[in-house]
Amino acid sequence: MKSKSIHGASFKEVDRALNSVLTDGFTPTVAFVFISVKQDRKAICELMTSKKIEVFGATSCGEFINGHQTEGEIAILLLELAKEHYTILFENMEDGNMDNAVSKLANNALNQFTNPSLIVCGPGINQKGEHFEGEKLVKSLEKQLGAEKIFFGGMAGDDWALKETFVFTNTKESNYGIVALVLNADKISLNGMAVTGWKPMGIARTVTKSEGKLLYEIDGKSAVDLYLKYLGKSDKIAEKDFKIFEDLAIEYPFLVERDTNETVIKSPTKIDRTTHALVMDNPMSEGTKFWFTQPPEFDIVEEVINKAAKLKTDLDTDADALLIFSCGGRKPILGPLVTEENEGLAKLWDTPMAGFFTYGEFGRVLNGRQNFHGGACCWVTLKEKE
Amino acid sequence: MNQHLQNILELINQTSQLKEEDKTAIISGLKKADKDLLISEFKLERTEKVKRTTAILLEETIEELEQKRKAIEDSNDALQKSLQELKAAQSQLIQSEKMASLGELTAGIAHEIQNPLNFVNNFSEVSKELIEEMLEEIKNGDMEEVNAIAQDVIQNLEKITHHGKRADGIVKGMLQHSRSSSGTKENTKINVLVDEYLRLAYHGLRAKDKSFNAALDTHFDDSIKTINIVPQDIGRVVLNLITNAFYACNEKKKLQIDGYEPKVSVKTEKHTDNITISVKDNGNGIPQKVLDKIFQPFFTTKPTGQGTGLGLSLSYDIIKAHGGNIDVNTKENEGTEFTISLPTNNNQ
Repeated sequence: MKSKSIHGASFKEVDRALNSVLTDGFTPTVAFVFISVKQDRKAICELMTSKKIEVFGATSCGEFINGHQTEGEIAILLLELAKEHYTILFENMEDGNMDNAVSKLANNALNQFTNPSLIVCGPGINQKGEHFEGEKLVKSLEKQLGAEKIFFGGMAGDDWALKETFVFTNTKESNYGIVALVLNADKISLNGMAVTGWKPMGIARTVTKSEGKLLYEIDGKSAVDLYLKYLGKSDKIAEKDFKIFEDLAIEYPFLVERDTNETVIKSPTKIDRTTHALVMDNPMSEGTKFWFTQPPEFDIVEEVINKAAKLKTDLDTDADALLIFSCGGRKPILGPLVTEENEGLAKLWDTPMAGFFTYGEFGRVLNGRQNFHGGACCWVTLKEKE
Repeated sequence: MNQHLQNILELINQTSQLKEEDKTAIISGLKKADKDLLISEFKLERTEKVKRTTAILLEETIEELEQKRKAIEDSNDALQKSLQELKAAQSQLIQSEKMASLGELTAGIAHEIQNPLNFVNNFSEVSKELIEEMLEEIKNGDMEEVNAIAQDVIQNLEKITHHGKRADGIVKGMLQHSRSSSGTKENTKINVLVDEYLRLAYHGLRAKDKSFNAALDTHFDDSIKTINIVPQDIGRVVLNLITNAFYACNEKKKLQIDGYEPKVSVKTEKHTDNITISVKDNGNGIPQKVLDKIFQPFFTTKPTGQGTGLGLSLSYDIIKAHGGNIDVNTKENEGTEFTISLPTNNNQ
């Protein structure tokens, strides 16, 4: 399977880049379009339609291809994928019923192929303008598809505006929907991994009072007071304009214990002033054990690349294309190292790559089960079986 | 790009003295240096920031742990105090339990003392009459008869001494029972001890309730000579088991079941490494739902005020302290058998 990645700061640049890559007889059938909300999605989709290319699209929080990382622009991975090996599905969750939409999508995928694997993108922000509960989406999709089915993906972004994100195809678009590239896993294999690198700091903590996304108490103390005090921001407790997510939680989220010895990153997104509670991106039920965190060490890049290299050796395979769903939080935390991380993966697999900075990631840690992740670098290769 | 590197880049671009390939190589090197510099600056800045935050978090955590340590210390002190109070209360309760069982024994003891006293009185009377008779015979000069009467008097006095000692033994036993255990083990004739407590318990209950009657069945293994135990402690256990057995029979008797004959069997038996004492009744048995609680302190099925709930708990502790076991075998409506086993090589 041939693939090529292109980028552009505008529709015109993408148009030019697309025409340029098509000159050698390359006839892509699918385009992964990762695009800033500032860009003209409709024009890009029409361009793709005119070239008979099917679109799998998500808005981004920064986007990248091999050797090129941007913010506010467009990154595209083009695949010459045989029509019989894939289908693109789209479901709207506008009625608010996520399980219904996931169920429809999963059934369609299972009807299409007996052994499907998926690339999935969902919203980053829900209809109320809050962080979308990616954890629920992953659990629901895993349940509907079956635990052994593989899917990777991420939650759309909006350049940190945290207002409205979109997923789309050539003709459909939603600020609260799911888009999936369903592949026949017997013909196209997906190999990938999610790695976070956040490390526990201090002692294990327990949620002693919470309700839904509201986290009231940690170890019997006010969650807001404890979180801000322990991270040296006590003076911000009364400051109404303090942006807890952007200014603190991106760097210092919680590392939460979950089943099968895994952990997941969960972040406070704001302070609910009425109840004096932390509003979390994903719920933390009472009794949940977690830690304050230290951002990934600088050797995280080597860790990500080494783990990928080991998987590559173990599987004795190469790749036709590479997708990376990297948490938006990794950009401020890892600075230029995040570029090294993405570039390192592309270099290792020696294949066209595209990806975007997400508001949440879907995938599996090494030998782990299907899970939602936060703060992760979640990469996946596509390879046509011979 | 770093301003200094930018200046160098511009200079190189402007110069015409360098070959184009050299220019390209220098520019590539400059860009690489800029990238490395950018990464180094970022690492430095982030390290400083993370170090600050980590220090604050760890300081707060240490303070919190210190507070927790203090709180644990305080709780520990309070717990120690409570433990001491509990121990004091426990020894008071144990003493109360002893006194309560002593109360149960009082009537039996009175009965037991009455017998030797009767003997003492009767033999004293008879001896007085014999001596009067002897004085007569002395006057008559019948020394043969005097001698015969004197022999009878001696026999009587021996019997008086015997029964006096028996009463003395009972009183001493009672005092020993009520005193705190010395904890000293003595070679004890277990069959004698069991028999004595069986009789005391039986007569105690009979004295309180004249209508009570029960068949007593004893099988003492004569091959058991003495074993090394704390006699007043084991006596307390035996008394408790026998009293419970009589209570169980009495409760069943109250149900007025046709043909029901209360019966308590006490058996001692010698085995290779231990001896067993079993106390069996044909009462109502112990319901399964309470069976696992009977050795818990303060658990009792008796009405309020009639039992401390410490009897079996103390018995269990005493038997364990002797390195033995106490087992219970019960069937509802058929009866219960408690079996104590005590090691014969008990040197603990």
